[in-house]
Amino acid sequence: MRFEEELVALLPRLRRFARGLARHPSDADDLCQAAIERALKSRDQWQRGTRLDSWMYRITRNLWIDERRAAGRRGVHSPIDDAATQIAGDGAAEVEAGALRGDVDGAMARLPDEQREVVMLVLVEGYAYREAADILEVQIGTVTSRLARGRETLMHYLGEAA
Amino acid sequence: MSVDPIVVAAFVDGELDDLTARRIEREAASDPALAAAIARHRALKERLAAHYAPVIEEAVPDRLRALLTAPDALDTSLADRRAAKRSRFEAMHWAAIAATLVLGLTIGLRPWQPTTEVVSDQGRLVASGALARALDTQLASNQPVGAAIRIGLSFRDDDGRFCRSFESRTIKGVGCRDGDRWALEHTLRGQARGDYRQATSGEMAAIAATMMAGEPLDAPAERAARDSGWGRR
Repeated sequence: MRFEEELVALLPRLRRFARGLARHPSDADDLCQAAIERALKSRDQWQRGTRLDSWMYRITRNLWIDERRAAGRRGVHSPIDDAATQIAGDGAAEVEAGALRGDVDGAMARLPDEQREVVMLVLVEGYAYREAADILEVQIGTVTSRLARGRETLMHYLGEAA
Repeated sequence: MSVDPIVVAAFVDGELDDLTARRIEREAASDPALAAAIARHRALKERLAAHYAPVIEEAVPDRLRALLTAPDALDTSLADRRAAKRSRFEAMHWAAIAATLVLGLTIGLRPWQPTTEVVSDQGRLVASGALARALDTQLASNQPVGAAIRIGLSFRDDDGRFCRSFESRTIKGVGCRDGDRWALEHTLRGQARGDYRQATSGEMAAIAATMMAGEPLDAPAERAARDSGWGRR
């Protein structure tokens, strides 16, 4: 199959991953577009015989992190003000958890980026820990600990805690 | 519950070998708490899967598909010229972003002030300034986006001290609570270079893994430790 055809076949899954990272559909598709353009430009760097999906997820994720950091430097407000959540403390978090019950998007938005991407890769995209670690270029132990923290937060907000 | 939460998660994620998985299944039959934990993990996974599943069914927007289905055999010379133009633009675009980052960073670090993140006290390196503040207060589970210092893992070492791995552009390492200070155990130069990605977070996690007794602190335990001033118990 041609490189482009393989990418077309990947698009639905890639859009789902991007939706998890970027939340808003148009932002997610912008991210996909940037990732496809990057992939076409650096297609020589992909080694035939290795997994194209992992390579594409890595490109997408790295572009997203770049974008988030650039936005942070520009002082653009992210939808959730992490600093404010942190200062507000546990009482506010409890109140918020009640309001968020059932809102998966809202709960996901409250995860730090590095936990959200692991949650998407393992719990939604179904990658093994080893594969997720390869995509993110981190140790497998980092994947398990971020995943544990992410799960805990999601269960808290979605009301699935014990 | 007799089983570690990380193992429960690994069980639900299909990461355990068959033998261990069967052991967990057997234990769940007689351990209601374990069975409930497994059910909670499964419910969360199913809920997330169901939430994102509709995206797969959506029609892929034309603007994405068009990038990959353009008749490239038709006019390669034009396509090449366009590609060349686009990549030049993109290089400039990224260079501009990089310049913004460098400027932001320089302001953030206040280059007219000496670096005071680390001081030497009777031959021991201890954290000070912004680093000490980050180690004192910043939660790994809830860090400001773009924080200058990022906390990696928080854990207890074999001596029962709280330790925290950290990373900034200029320095990375592990700080362990020593009285009211953070003694720096493994300190390396950060990678103060153009690449803005943290390719080495894994390295600090690996060092942390060799130091920790048991598991890293989860979010509530980390918060509790911070709120108690990182004291020994």
